[in-house]
Amino acid sequence: MTGIIRRISRILQNHNNLVGVYAFVVIAIIIVGLLLQSPLTYDQDQLYPKSIDKNSSLDPYDRGGVPFGQTNVVSQYPENEPYLGYVTAYLTPVSLWISETTRFMGTTIVSHPGGIIDEILYNTRGLDTIIETAILFVAFTMAMFLFTRRREE
Amino acid sequence: MYNLPSPQIEGEILAYIPFGDIVYYFSPYTLVLFIFALTFTALAILSRPEKQVDIAFGGDAYYTKEIPEKQMRFQRFMAISCGLATMAGVTTGDIFNFTLLTAMVGICNIGIVASVKNKHVLDNAYEYGILAMIGTLPLFGAAAIILATTGTLSLWEIFTPAVSVPVIAKALLVIGVIGEGMAPVYVAKAEITRAPGAPYVLMIHVSSLLMFLRVVEIIISM
Repeated sequence: MTGIIRRISRILQNHNNLVGVYAFVVIAIIIVGLLLQSPLTYDQDQLYPKSIDKNSSLDPYDRGGVPFGQTNVVSQYPENEPYLGYVTAYLTPVSLWISETTRFMGTTIVSHPGGIIDEILYNTRGLDTIIETAILFVAFTMAMFLFTRRREE
Repeated sequence: MYNLPSPQIEGEILAYIPFGDIVYYFSPYTLVLFIFALTFTALAILSRPEKQVDIAFGGDAYYTKEIPEKQMRFQRFMAISCGLATMAGVTTGDIFNFTLLTAMVGICNIGIVASVKNKHVLDNAYEYGILAMIGTLPLFGAAAIILATTGTLSLWEIFTPAVSVPVIAKALLVIGVIGEGMAPVYVAKAEITRAPGAPYVLMIHVSSLLMFLRVVEIIISM
């Protein structure tokens, strides 16, 4: 018994092993969790519904609704959002023209970082957009600091 | 209209700040955590970095280590943004918002550790960075499972007895926050508290501790 404990503590005392131990715990929790409660049931009454219309010219990005018009949007607290539904579908006139003539506009929007951030967020979750960009800014600041420090050497 | 379903856990609601679907709230519990984070952010703004003193044996000589101004400013920036993320994280009323802010706390912690110019410390920052990046998988996985199985992300709805959250989502949320808040382990192992720039390292401990306390409250309530 003490041999086992000694062996475990020998692994844990080296902090270079922590990543492996942590990944192992994550995998174990996923397996045990799925064994305990499987299959997980999908709730049909979704607050943020997502449907993909393959025939749309904005294919992967299409969020429904008409540009510059009002759209029906599901919301948790509609009383907090007086302008609900006015900003779900927006395109500049140029991108509207590109989306009407070619089929590449949706992929173009989705394939740049702002598009991915924007795509999963709705009018009702504006604060998440701010926090996600804040995370990106902090990461860029870090990369900039480390890069310039290495150049100064 | 906003009422916590189980006030015996953290007390009655004191105030709420609505941002669309994301409704922040103050209860006695979260208010204490918020004031704690606010105090330490103010300390990070006001305090000067510690200059360690090395004493040369066999004489009266001693010398202080110089901290470059650039490094000091960067560490202070990271400590302040970490404090702001912690303040938002302990008061948020939305599970996805909470996971985002926890990820931001993790990234800021990497920044504080990585700015110290010391091979031993940087090795640890690298290891912690990998750990925090793995930690985002269970963290956002938990938020995704909660959204899929309950259909909502708002803590106000999830806390009600009618909505049941699967055990795997709770476990993944906890292990995700543990992964992001693992920084104090590396801080202790690498003895970063004794490296130059000490007051800002405090923010790593404070933010991890507050995030742990908040996730405990969320797990018990849901």
